[in-house]
Amino acid sequence: MSLTHLNARGEAHMVDVADKSESRREASASGRIHMQPDTLALLLEGGLPKGDVLATARIAGIQAAKRTHELIPLCHSLALSRVAVDFSVEADKGYVEVTASCRLTGRSGVEMEALTAVSVACLTLYDMCKAVDKTMEIGGIHLESKRGGRSGDYSRETVVQETLAAASVPIVTSEGDAGQVSLRSRGGGTDTGIRVKCLAELQERLGVGELSVPFDTLPSADVAGIKLALKAMDARFAGLEEGRVLCAVNQVMAGDSTPVTEDDEVAFFPPVTGG
Amino acid sequence: MIRVQEAAFDAGAEQRALLADRTDIGAVVSFTGLVRDFNERPEVTGLFLEHYPGMTEAALEKIVAEAESRWSLDGVRLIHRIGRLAPGDPIVLVVVASAHRRSAFEACDFIMDYLKTRAPFWKKEHATDGQYWVGERDSDLSDARRWE
Repeated sequence: MSLTHLNARGEAHMVDVADKSESRREASASGRIHMQPDTLALLLEGGLPKGDVLATARIAGIQAAKRTHELIPLCHSLALSRVAVDFSVEADKGYVEVTASCRLTGRSGVEMEALTAVSVACLTLYDMCKAVDKTMEIGGIHLESKRGGRSGDYSRETVVQETLAAASVPIVTSEGDAGQVSLRSRGGGTDTGIRVKCLAELQERLGVGELSVPFDTLPSADVAGIKLALKAMDARFAGLEEGRVLCAVNQVMAGDSTPVTEDDEVAFFPPVTGG
Repeated sequence: MIRVQEAAFDAGAEQRALLADRTDIGAVVSFTGLVRDFNERPEVTGLFLEHYPGMTEAALEKIVAEAESRWSLDGVRLIHRIGRLAPGDPIVLVVVASAHRRSAFEACDFIMDYLKTRAPFWKKEHATDGQYWVGERDSDLSDARRWE
């Protein structure tokens, strides 16, 4: 696997697509903007000072997709045949989910267009709502799926499921189907990065025992950064915010601000109930 | 001495071992925790104890070291069981020896309070109407805060 935007000398260059055959290309991306419950309520009622928030953000996302080549240096300008931006207001979870899909028949993929549409739609939502809420947070922007082109089809859901399945090697003693006690192995994975474990009730609730988080995906090098990276990786990690969840770094009790470094072991678990 | 084990323990044998060949100990306090047949639901038929190997031992060591720094103690034995347990089974043992009774009583009480709130053990109870993870108790948290 190599980076197509670098030439043999490692310099950035625009990929020549003239010899690629035209084909139908599609991509969809999504992201979220978290906001206060009151802000979400105002958004739904249409009570925000700048007017119809979602309609404005939709137009902004579509415009942005068309102008991606002006923003991202080595992108081609494309004649998109379709751009759709949609919103799903998750009031009980405190965020708006933004999805964008782009399509064309041509020689270049459209994932950058979909990602740009999501990013700018989120920024526009921020702009429309910032008068009443400055705590809003944009995150979890990622490619959902991609079809067509030489590199083939991609579906994030499939890849994440496979990664989680491969990484799911529980480490704690647990009960076998026959009611017998077994000490499961720690696994022999060679992944680098931070080893994250979910224990006891949390392991059952999230359906994840152990996985590796690449250190360079952390927005900040602390426990709070790991939580954000996990939530961006898979929606189920929103469960880390439900109820009281404790954390240990290298088997010592820790908090959100505890620093982490590469190869650390970080465990999340519910309040303890021994004795 | 700290042990995390599946096997049952004999509180009497543990206490005798702690006191063996010692004549300077004036008080020994022993606490044994047992599995109850009622808890969050009325008919508990058993429970499963899960833990975090490695951190469990380290957390228990730290609790015992803290007790030894607060009171003058002549010996501590702490055993916690893991795995499948039935109502009536012994689950945890704390034996504390000291020259005087007050230190032994208080240190034993302290170790149990801290174990309940700081050692990474989790209980999943099996009742006649299903299984559930045991939730934390506010009284355990307030008990532990007494020592701060």
